[in-house]
Parts: sequence; structure tokens; C-alpha cells
Amino acid sequence: MASIAGTDMTSNAEAPPVVGSARGSRGTLIALSAVALILAVVPYVIDERFGYHIAIMVCFAAIGASSLHLIIRTGHVSLCHSAFVGVGAYASANAVMKLNLPFVGGLLAGTLASASLALVIGPIILRLTGKYFVLITFLLGEILRMVFVDWIAVTGGANGMTGIPAPAPAFADPKAFYILALAAAIFCIAVCARILSSEIGRFVNAIRESEQLAECVGVPVIRTKIMMFVIACAFAGFAGSLLAHYGRYISPPNFGPIESLNLVIMNVIGGMNTLIGPLIGAFFLVLVPELLRGYVQLQHVIFGIMLIVVMAFMPGGMAGLGDILASLTRRFGKRAS
Amino acid sequence: MTSFKMKATLAALLLAGSMVPAVSAETLKIGAIGSLSGGGTAWGLAIKRGAELAVDEVNKAGGLKVGDKTYNIELVMYDDQYTGQGGKTAAERVVFQDKVKFVVGPIGSNPVLSTMEVTTPQKVLLMSNGYTPKILQNDHKASYNFRFTLTNIEFAPSMMKWVKDNLKLKKVGILVPNDAIGQSVAPPLVKLYKESGIETVVDYYERGSKEFSPLITRLMAAGIDGFDINFNAPGEAGLMVKQARQIGFDKTILQMGGPSVPEIIEVAGKQAEGFISYEMVDFDAPAVVPFVKAYAAKYGAGIMNSQTPAFYNTTKILFEAIRRAGTVEDTTKVRDAVEGIAGYDAGIYGPVRWTGMANYGVNHQLALPFYVVEVKNGKPVNRATLQVD
Amino acid sequence: MLSNPVVLGQIVVNGLSLSSIYILVALGFTLLFGIMRVVNFAHGEFAMLGGFSLYYLYAVFKLPWLLAIALVPFLVALPALLLEWLVFRWFYQKMFQSMIGLLGLNMAMIYTGLIVWDAFERNIPAAFDGIVRFGGVIAPIDRLVTIGISLLALAGFYFLMVHTRWGLAMRAAAQDVDIAATQGIDTRRIYKLAFVVAIGLAALAGALYGQIYAVSPFMGERPLFVAFVVVILGGMGSVSGAALGGVLLGFTESLLGTLYGGSVAAYASFGVVVLLLIFRPWGLLGKPE
Repeated sequence: MASIAGTDMTSNAEAPPVVGSARGSRGTLIALSAVALILAVVPYVIDERFGYHIAIMVCFAAIGASSLHLIIRTGHVSLCHSAFVGVGAYASANAVMKLNLPFVGGLLAGTLASASLALVIGPIILRLTGKYFVLITFLLGEILRMVFVDWIAVTGGANGMTGIPAPAPAFADPKAFYILALAAAIFCIAVCARILSSEIGRFVNAIRESEQLAECVGVPVIRTKIMMFVIACAFAGFAGSLLAHYGRYISPPNFGPIESLNLVIMNVIGGMNTLIGPLIGAFFLVLVPELLRGYVQLQHVIFGIMLIVVMAFMPGGMAGLGDILASLTRRFGKRAS
Repeated sequence: MTSFKMKATLAALLLAGSMVPAVSAETLKIGAIGSLSGGGTAWGLAIKRGAELAVDEVNKAGGLKVGDKTYNIELVMYDDQYTGQGGKTAAERVVFQDKVKFVVGPIGSNPVLSTMEVTTPQKVLLMSNGYTPKILQNDHKASYNFRFTLTNIEFAPSMMKWVKDNLKLKKVGILVPNDAIGQSVAPPLVKLYKESGIETVVDYYERGSKEFSPLITRLMAAGIDGFDINFNAPGEAGLMVKQARQIGFDKTILQMGGPSVPEIIEVAGKQAEGFISYEMVDFDAPAVVPFVKAYAAKYGAGIMNSQTPAFYNTTKILFEAIRRAGTVEDTTKVRDAVEGIAGYDAGIYGPVRWTGMANYGVNHQLALPFYVVEVKNGKPVNRATLQVD
Repeated sequence: MLSNPVVLGQIVVNGLSLSSIYILVALGFTLLFGIMRVVNFAHGEFAMLGGFSLYYLYAVFKLPWLLAIALVPFLVALPALLLEWLVFRWFYQKMFQSMIGLLGLNMAMIYTGLIVWDAFERNIPAAFDGIVRFGGVIAPIDRLVTIGISLLALAGFYFLMVHTRWGLAMRAAAQDVDIAATQGIDTRRIYKLAFVVAIGLAALAGALYGQIYAVSPFMGERPLFVAFVVVILGGMGSVSGAALGGVLLGFTESLLGTLYGGSVAAYASFGVVVLLLIFRPWGLLGKPE
């Protein structure tokens, strides 16, 4: 019996849409600076410890989402990004607690562990595109999660690792740690922005537009994809290390499919075309549930409905809101004149 | 209760209170953390409801009298999503945003451990559940947390003695989920069986799976004459009993853990006949009947999770300790009052007794009497009442 | 152990009954993807509704079981058209948006279910209580009935897709929606039909699943997860692939679980699918693109 669908694996209906022009990237830069400013100032204005905690969570989410964005820009949606965060977290915790390295050593270990794993796995899985890549990363994430649970000697198993030390005694205070987290987030986003606006960034755009065409004009497709994947996972590991030394306790559920899906949601909801998208998504996905916490029973229902509404009316993501507003004002402007 | 409803009730109470000039009615916020989403939801709801029933009782009686003030209790509960990260965020919020000094819950080793890292440095009292020994045996020396339900370190030795004397078992099969609970529970259980001269066969399954017949078949092929459901979640435990009987296992099925007797009876129906289990509460005892009625009145006729009375007990003990300490600010005094509260009877479990020095180095483990029950004609029948050593 | 016919028989029956439920769920899931290009992350919740429907029809209103199970797909799929109008239609032909939007629907449905029905698991009383013994193999009758009903549903589905005009229209829409429209096919109506069929299948699967296991607001998570894996195994959009994938997965879990235990079964199932994706991504019976 015939199959129901025969779809083109590389059809544009599946790939996230294309990026804008140079004017767009300057707008992006302004937007990024605004976001950085907000992040830098607001917690100090609130000056509540919980505010710092949330701000730190936003920074972690921002690093995760923007590094995932690099992969998404090549046309691949990865559902295992959180698992790479986990690899970095466990590597860092082990490096500091079992090998007695200083925090910087842990940070390095975490980043390198994730990057190495990505370097080994990337060439194999990046050959798949579209839905197949989504599916294989989903399974990969599950396998990594099971390894976190089963490799008790290294990861502490399902009960996790407790007593992970802070980067330095001074950083046990969230106020101080926030500076570290903010610096890390700005560094990561800046690097991502730089990469995307460089020559490699143009390769990335070309690949997403049409892989075969890019190959024909000499773009080193598979090499670019692997490079993006490795850099993205390196940042994931970097975030993982920070996470481990902030929460001081890590366990497998923190790095599971739900967390990976959250990072993807941040990208889709925020907008997959520009770097500002995942940042908007990061804010949204961390802040909105906190705002809804008061509705003890309804919070998840409301959040679910919000996702439906945002995706239905802003299919390009919330970053596209600017365009929607612009076109609306243009329309009203025409009517008025 | 939604937050809005609680605020409205509180407003009404405060208004009523303000009309009587002699009595000052302030609000005391008590924090609660538990899973309101994901796999642990049944337990999170149990924490919420058990605590709420205790809070209602106190508020209806006019409030909690502490020193010369009377407080209306407001329960602030947050979802920990049954993860360590979720527990930390909920703890940060309830401690630093809502500024509570007392937290009831969570259930689950991961959320408890991460919550503890937030509450203990701030000297916030944590009255929790949770499986791993690390909850009481840790660098903080459990200075500001207590555990209110028994783990198998507490009840298994006595129960194992009973099993050895009453059920002639030679080889027991054990199924556990491949997660925090499973990994904490299986090794000590196996050791305990071994010390009683009983061999074991253990297998792990991925949480979420509901089909156990392949694994049970495997256990049967290994020649088991007993099947221990131990600490599986109520739904899974019920299915294990049902499926074991359905594929023809006709020997002893017991549960050295849980407890989930009402749920197992519900899910396994007739196949639960003869099932032997550890039980925390005697639902027919005269002291417990009013509690069961109050639960049904507020939450409907559904099955009550056995963690609900446990957390009702926890919250009542907390209130009594606050009352005895005479302060809602000095948590060290309240902590000392909790330590000294032995003999107080909150209504369901009998007088409080603390234990744990031998196992954890600190007496912050509640020692409850417990029961061995057998299902006869669809109802649990008491076969023995045992004590923690 | 494999040489023992009792054990072997056990494995076969367990494997088949697992597979039959997986297949029903996967079919609906793959239908929605194949025709409307929608990744229905809320698919498990319609199974959940099917479970609760059977609970109310059979356990509470005490209708005869066969009547109850026949009513379930309609009881869930027809009102679900409201959700189709409210939610699904915004996401047709938009894969990523559908993933996130329907994930939102999934959350909304689970936690509404939690508010309405509470967290504890409900049992549907056994409709068929006995066991059948033939040649030393033990098979619970309710498992055999599950297999039977699934086969009926599968046959009906096959007939619909291959031997009716509607089925032809759906397959045309799956191949290329725009061309199908130019051929005079009312795509809006076809989408609704596909939706009803897919949701009906999910509801039926959920009812059978609830009958064998238990019913609760969270019961749909596992069937969704498995449907995902089955569809990968069989090939997205391939119906016979879904059938084959379901049978394979059910058997693998059953076989490996019985012989080697839970962990091996889990790693092996994933490993097989990963290898498949690497070397034959279009699945066992899909077509290379």
C-alpha cells in the first residue's frame, strides 16, 4: 500500500525561513544591546534575591537558546541540546570535585567535553536533515539521559551529585554570581552574533536556503554544519558548568527531553530568523511561568493556551511582532491619508 | 484552593477579625513545595491537601495562638515539577520572595536535596519526605530539616522479620524504576533480604512503562516464590499485581514499601486478593475516620493518596511546635521545640517519637507505628502492628 | 529460555497486544502528519479522552462493553472537531509551528483533565475476566480482545484508504495538497475527515490501553512517546510502516525484556531506531526522498 506522503526532505516548507539584510543585522545589534541593558539593570533595581535567581535563570536560558540558534540557522532543529548542557555540567562537577581542579578547570572541562562529543557525533547525524534530524536528536537525548542515570560512578546516578562547590566563596551569593552569569551570557551572545554576521554566517544562510545549491557554488556544507554544531554544543557545555556551580546540585531530570524541548520552544516562539528571537523566547519561557505561579491549578493550562495563541497568530515568532506592528501602522496610515 | 479564593477568604477573616478590637489577627505564611505537574503530581497534591486540611482546622478554630498573638494561616504552595531545578526555583521564591520561615514538603529526593540547599543556610525549617539517606545524613547535619515519613531503613528491618517468620519465601523477585527512588531502594532491600536468608532477583524498568509482563515472566522463569512491589508508584504497583496474576503467577505478592493499598485494590480488583503490604495508616481507626470524612467533603470521593495523612500530621506537628516555642520568627527555637515534641499526638499516628541517631547521626526522623495488612475480600485487613526499632 | 514453549507463547501474546495498541496510536499520528503536515504533540491526550470515555460509558453508565467501545471513537472525535476549528487549523502545513502550538494544547488538556478528574488512576472493570490456556501458553482474554479489535480497526482503516473515494482524496492531498485542490478536492473537508479518523483511532487506542492498564489524566504521555518512536521506525507518513514499526517495537520490548531485562530492552530499542535513522532514515517502508 502506498505511503500517505512523499515529501521533499529539503523542502522549504520545513526549513525555517530566511534572514534579512544588512539593515536587519544593525537592527538586531540595537535590539541585542537593549536586551543586555535590561538584563544588566533590572535585577539591581529590584534588589530582591529571588529577582537575581530569575535573572540568572534567564541568562542560562539565553545561552542555551542562542547556541541552539546556531544549529537552527543551518536548518537543523536539535532536540538534545539540554543533554549537551548535562554533559558539560557533569564533566565540570567531576573535574572540580574528583580531580580537584579550580572552577576555571571545570568550566574548561565542561566546554571541551560537550564540544568533543559533538565533534564525534556531529559528522554522523548531520547528514540527516529536516524531520529525521529532529528525531535522531530526540533519541540521542534519551540515550544520554539514560547514561546519566545509569553511570552511577561518574554521575551519581538518578540521585545526582550534591555539594558541588561555588566558583569561589564569594560567588555563593546570587548577587555576585549574577555578574558572572551575565558576563557569560553577553560573551556567548556576542560570539554567536559575530559568527552569524561573518563569512561563515553567509555560508550558514546559503545552506539553509538551499543545501544543494550552496554545495554547487562551493560552500563547504558539511564542514560548516559540523563547526556550528560543535560551537553550539561547546556553549551548551559552558552553560552546563555554570549551572552546576550555581545550583550546587545536578540530576538527570534537569537535562532531559523536556528541557531540550524548552530550548526549541524559545527559538520557535521568539523567532528563528534572528538572534533576538531566542532571547525573547528565553525571557518568555522563564518569566511567564513565574508570573503564573499564583494560579496554582491553572498555571499550566494558561501557559499551554498562551503557546497556542502565540504560535497561531505569530507564526514567525515574537521577534516578528515588530514587522506585524509595522505593517499594521502602514495600513492605518494609508487609510488615514 | 486558588490563590484568589484564599486571598478572599483571608480578607474576609481579617475584616471580621478587625471588628473585634481586643484580638489581633495577623497572617502567618507557611510555605509548601510539591509536584503539581509531571510524574509526581499525585504526591504533590497529597502535600497540598494534607497541609490544607491542617490549616483549615486551625483557622476554623480561630487561628494559631502563639504567645499573645493569634495568627491566621495562609498556605503558599509552589510546583517543583519533581525535579531538582524545579525544587530550587520554588524554594528560592518561597524563601526570598514570600519570606516564609517554614516549609512543608517536598516529596522526592531530588527536589528535597535542592530545596534543602536553599532553606538550611537561611535557617528555614524544612519538614519533608524524600528517600535518600542524604536528606538526614549530610554536611548540614540536617540542622534545619526533619523527615516525616518512613523509608525502608526505618521499617524494613521489623517488617522483614515478620515476613521471615510468617511467609515462607526462598527467592523474591523485585521490580524497580530506573530512577532516583529505584536506585536508592534496591540495594538496601536486597541486602536486607540476604540477611534474612532470602535470595533476590532484581530488574529495572524505564519509568513511564506500564507493561510489566515481559519482566515478570523473566522473574518467574528465575523461579521466584515471592514478588515484592516495594516502592513503585501506586499506579504501577497496581498494574504489577494485576499483570502478575494474569500471567499465572499464583504465589505470594507483597509490598515492602509504598504504601498504595487502596490504589492497588482499585486497579487490580479481584486480583488483589491475598496481597500483603506495608501500610502507614489504619483507615478504620476511630481517630482516622473524621480525617477521611473531611477529605471526602473537600476533595470528593476519589482515592486518597497515603501521603495526605502524613502531611496533615507534619503540618499539625509544625503548628504545635510553633505554639510551644512561642515565636514565629525564631526558627531555632521552633526547631528545638520540634526536637522536644516527643509524646505529642496530632491525631492520626499516635504520639511522636524521634529516631535516626544510629543511622544518620541525628534524631530528625519521625518514628511512626506501621502495619502489615492483607487484602481480604477487597479490603485491607490488619495482620500486625509494628514499630520502628 | 527460548526453547520453552510456554515462555515463547507468553512473549508472543504480550508482544502482539502491546503492538496492536501502539499501531493504532501511530496510525493516527502519521495520518495527521502525512496529510496536514502537523506534528500532533497532543495526540496522547485524545487517547486519554478515549480512556475516560470508556470509563464513563462502561464503568459508570454500565453500557455493554462492545457497544461502549464502538461509541468511544465517535464520542471523542466528533466533539474534537471543535478543537480542530479552534486550534489545529492554524497549523496545517506548518510543521514547526504545529509542534509548539500542539504542545501547548497538550499541556492545556492534561492539566484541565487533572482539575476535572484528579490525579489518581481509575480502573475500568474487566470486561473479559478469564484466561485461555492452549498448549501451556497462558493468554488473558482481554489481551486477545484488544488484538482483535485493533485488527478490525486496522482493516477498516485500510478499506477506507484504499477502496473508497475519500481515501483516494486523502492520499492525493498527502501527495500534494495544492494539486489535489486543483483537481477539485475540497481540502478543508478532507482535513476534517482525516482529523476525525486520526482522533478516532487515538481514542480507540486509549480506551483499549485504559482497559488493560488504568485511566488517568497522565495516561496519554506514554502512548505519544511510543507513537513517535514507531513512526520513526516505520517511516513518517507510511501506514504500513507504522504497522510494521508497531509490531517490531512491541516484540522487541517484549522479547528483550523477557530475555535480558528492562535496561537492555530500553537501550536496544533506541539503538535500533538510531541505527535505522542513520542508515535508512526513511524508515523500513517509507520511500527515500
